[in-house]
Formats: sequence, structure tokens, C-alpha cells
Amino acid sequence: MADDGAARQLDKEILSPKPGIQSPAEGGGDFQPRIVGFLCNWCSYAGADLAGVTRLKMPPSMVAIRVMCSSRVDPLFVLKAFLAGADGVLVAGCHPGDCHYQTGNYYTRRRFALTLKVLEELGLEANRVRLSWVSASEGGRFAEVVTEFTETIRKAGPNPAKTEVFL
Amino acid sequence: MTGATIQAKNGVNGAVSAVLKSLKDSGCVDAVLVPTRVKSGETFVYLLIRNPKMLDSCAPLPPVMPVQGARALQSLTRHGKVEQTVLCVMRPCEVRASIELAKRRQVDLENVLFMSLDCPGALRTRDYVNDPEALDKRYQGILNNWEGDGLRPTCETCVHFSCEDVPVDLHVGLVGTKEEEAVIIGVSKRGEELLDKAGIECSEDVSAWQVEVEKARDKKAGNRSKVVSELKDKAAGMDNLGLLFADCINCHNCMRVCPICYCRQCFFDSSDQVRLRAEDYFAKAQARGGIRFPGDMMQFHLGRIYHMGLSCVGCGACEDGCPMDVPVSQVFAFAGDEVQKTFDYVPGRSTDEPIPTLTYEEDELHEYEDA
Ligand code: SF4
Ligand code: SF4
Ligand code: FES
Repeated sequence: MADDGAARQLDKEILSPKPGIQSPAEGGGDFQPRIVGFLCNWCSYAGADLAGVTRLKMPPSMVAIRVMCSSRVDPLFVLKAFLAGADGVLVAGCHPGDCHYQTGNYYTRRRFALTLKVLEELGLEANRVRLSWVSASEGGRFAEVVTEFTETIRKAGPNPAKTEVFL
Repeated sequence: MTGATIQAKNGVNGAVSAVLKSLKDSGCVDAVLVPTRVKSGETFVYLLIRNPKMLDSCAPLPPVMPVQGARALQSLTRHGKVEQTVLCVMRPCEVRASIELAKRRQVDLENVLFMSLDCPGALRTRDYVNDPEALDKRYQGILNNWEGDGLRPTCETCVHFSCEDVPVDLHVGLVGTKEEEAVIIGVSKRGEELLDKAGIECSEDVSAWQVEVEKARDKKAGNRSKVVSELKDKAAGMDNLGLLFADCINCHNCMRVCPICYCRQCFFDSSDQVRLRAEDYFAKAQARGGIRFPGDMMQFHLGRIYHMGLSCVGCGACEDGCPMDVPVSQVFAFAGDEVQKTFDYVPGRSTDEPIPTLTYEEDELHEYEDA
């Protein structure tokens, strides 16, 4: 989201329904969660890739946005995705201690705590955001995180912000 | 703690300006940054005063706070430190905002001294400009009884109205002191030295005042938890938040007058970050049936909570500057309180405490991660 292109990408990815999935405003049937995942380049994105090439089974619910480090994720990114109607937002990076830039993910954790706390305080479904650590070699773990999170979101239902007109 | 009683026959402002004069005359202060009434009489601005005569007409505790003092100090030190000593006379929340700005390297505190006063709150600026005389009277009453109508809503619940947790050099105590009297206290080492050099002997015990401050604080703390829990119920959830901010006209005044919002190019004003192209708005409208213009109202307000909720000092400047009476600072107060508590952070308490998002512990906050 550092430039216009990425900002547009985010809105478009969330808004444009994948083939076979209709937006709720258009009276779509089964609820298919759309999750935006901010994945750090060095660990979680590579982990996602590994999950892909090893053909692990997971729901096709995630739109991945690659960031160079999980600490790049400003709480506003999460907020923007949330208000754009993402049903869930995942922030994922290297395990603490393993950040490519040494300490980035310790800051990520602080920011994420802030992100979550504000949502909680304002009564805004904090269960729709999640912070997970996934290393480059943990393809299996990545698939698990996505599967599990998708289930949580499926239970929670669509993000009401998706149909809000007066935001 | 010890201090000195000062006579306030001509009101607090007269008493404090006399002290300021002796500090200036003693030569240990080169200039004073202090609120002063404008010629038309309707409002107050900060003046950087070098001529001691002009201190006669300054107003250290004006009934309103049209400009947050941290903003004044920020303008003064925009290009770096001041070479000569300047004493800033401010409300406690203005000092705290200055400290927060210093942590963000927007204010340089070298050679800067602070004097604060027990603050009963500030009246709404818009009310004041309409009838300064009547509101001056009302404020006098508020100073005497330590309560009254027409204060900023956040002031009613402010627990930082005295000098505890506020890193000042000098402080003027007013709560519960005899009418026509105030106490001046050298809070820091430098503050003590200043008073000493100005020939103000501080040997009186001020514990009676301290007790009164405690009492007043308990009362305000009670107000605060009550108001916060009420508002929390009223604001919870997207629908309610939408109602709370419904009147917003997107003027972004709240952001411009906020002492903590310092970015010269605001994220929310930047066309690259938040503005989309027509075709994207069409897509959005298609998905939702329709969308609001100007857009991103919620993103702006919640985004500001994210960017500065940790540092919000609860001064109420945003709400005072809002033309639509959106309860901005009240929402900030309750969202801010909680995030500040999460990190055990009190904004403006000390320059030694880093902003929580700019530091970390390796072993912490595990409840927020999923390992
Ligand atoms: S958000 Fe409002 S109350 Fe908080 S510091 Fe800024 S102007 Fe003051
Ligand atoms: S000052 Fe009031 S109307 Fe203007 S943007 Fe802020 S909340 Fe909205
Ligand atoms: S590089 Fe992966 S979290 Fe910093």
C-alpha cells in the first residue's frame, strides 16, 4: 500500500468477486470468506509459496499482500482492509528472533496489540484480525493457519463493513 | 514539598505575571512564552515576550485554550533548539503534549523551562468569543469553586490537572488555596534555582494544597470512569460509531488543531494513499449499492486513533475546533485510555519513556500472537 498501485490492489482484490463468488449485496449464496494476508517476504510469504508448491490443501480465501517485513504493516493497513470489507485480516511474519531485519517483528507485535486493542475498545469484532508467525519452511503451518482462520471467519459471518454505505 | 504563597488580589493572572516579572528581572529567563489577550479582547494567543513590561498584561491561565501551547512551542523550535532560555507558561496538558512532540523530535526542549498551573479546565472557545465578559465572570466562579458549566467535556474528566506526572519546573497551585492566594512551587531542581535567584523563598509546607489536589483528582477520576463507560456503550460497534461521527463534514480541523498530529503531509490528505480513481469508486458503489462522498470518514477518525491514541493527552483541542460538535476528544479519551493502559504508558509523563510502538520487550504480549 506504499503506492497508489498497492492501495488500488487492496480495494480491488477485496471488491472484485472471484469467479463463482458473488458479493452479498448482489445476493450471493454461500458465504466465502475473503481474507487479506499481509505476509513478510522472508518467512510467511515463502511459507505460503511452499504450501502452494507442495499442493497442500487449504481454502482459496486469502489475498496475499507481500511486505518486506511484518513491521511494515501500519495499523492503518489493517484498518483499510477491514473497512474495505475484508472478512478477516492476517498479519504474518518470521518467528520472534528470526526476523530478517533482527527486531522488526517485535515492533510488529506491539503494533498489532495496538491494532487489536482499538478494535476491541470500539466494539469492532477484533476476532477478524490475527497475528501469526510462519517461517519459510513451515508450509504446513501456513496451510493450517489459513484453514483455521477461514473457519473462524466463516463462523463469524461476513464483515458488516462490506455493505456499509456511510463509512 | 515546599513552596511560597503569592498574593492574588488581582486574580491569578496578576499574581503569576508578577512572578514572571521577577524571574525575567533576575536574568535567568530570557523570554517568556505565555498566553495573552488579543486587542479585540475576544480571545488569547501565545506571545513570546522579551519586554518585561508586556508581562503586565499576560494571562497565564486564560479561560479558553484556542491554540494548544505545544503547537506554539513547536513553531518556536521548528528549526532546532532555542539558544536562550525560554519559560513556557502552559496548562498541564499543553506541557504533556510538548513532551510527546519532543519524543517525536518535533519540539526541542533544550533551554526550555515549563511553568504550569492547576487547571480547572477550559471553556469552549466558540462560547467565549460570543460573550467574553460574561464568560470571564463565569470562569472566575469556576476558579473559586473548582466546578461550573461550559467546560470542555474532556476537562470535566481530566485527572492530570495539577503537576503530578507532568514534568514541569515550576507550578502554581490553586486548588483549595485561600481566596486571593496561590502557592508557587519549584518542582524540578532548575525550578528551585530559578525561584531562589528571583528571591522567592520557598520554605512553606504545601501539604494542605496537596491534599486538596488529591481530593479533586478522586472526584475527576470518578467522573471519568462514569463518562467513559457511558460513552463506550454508546459508541460500540460500527453502526454506533457511524452515528457518533455522522455529522462530520470532513474538514479535518480536528487533526489540524491537535497538538500531537504533526505530520506535514497527512496520510489522510494524501491523494496517493486514500483517494481512488473514479472507476474504483464505481466498483465500490456497485458492491455496496452506493457510497458516501466525501469518503473515508471512518478511516480518518479510526486512523487517527491508531496514529495518536497512544499519545493523546486529552486536551480537547480537536473537539473545541470541530464546527459540528462531533465528540472527537471523548472518543479519543476512552479508546486512548485503554491502549495507554495496555502499554502502561502515560503520555507526557516523562521524556525518558519511549513511545510504546518505538520500543519492545522480547518476551511480552503473547496473548496477541499465535505462535
Ligand atoms: S486527539 Fe484531541 S484530545 Fe487528543 S491530544 Fe489531539 S487534540 Fe488533544
Ligand atoms: S473537526 Fe469535526 S467536522 Fe471537521 S473533520 Fe474533525 S470531526 Fe469532522
Ligand atoms: S522480515 Fe519477516 S518479520 Fe521481519
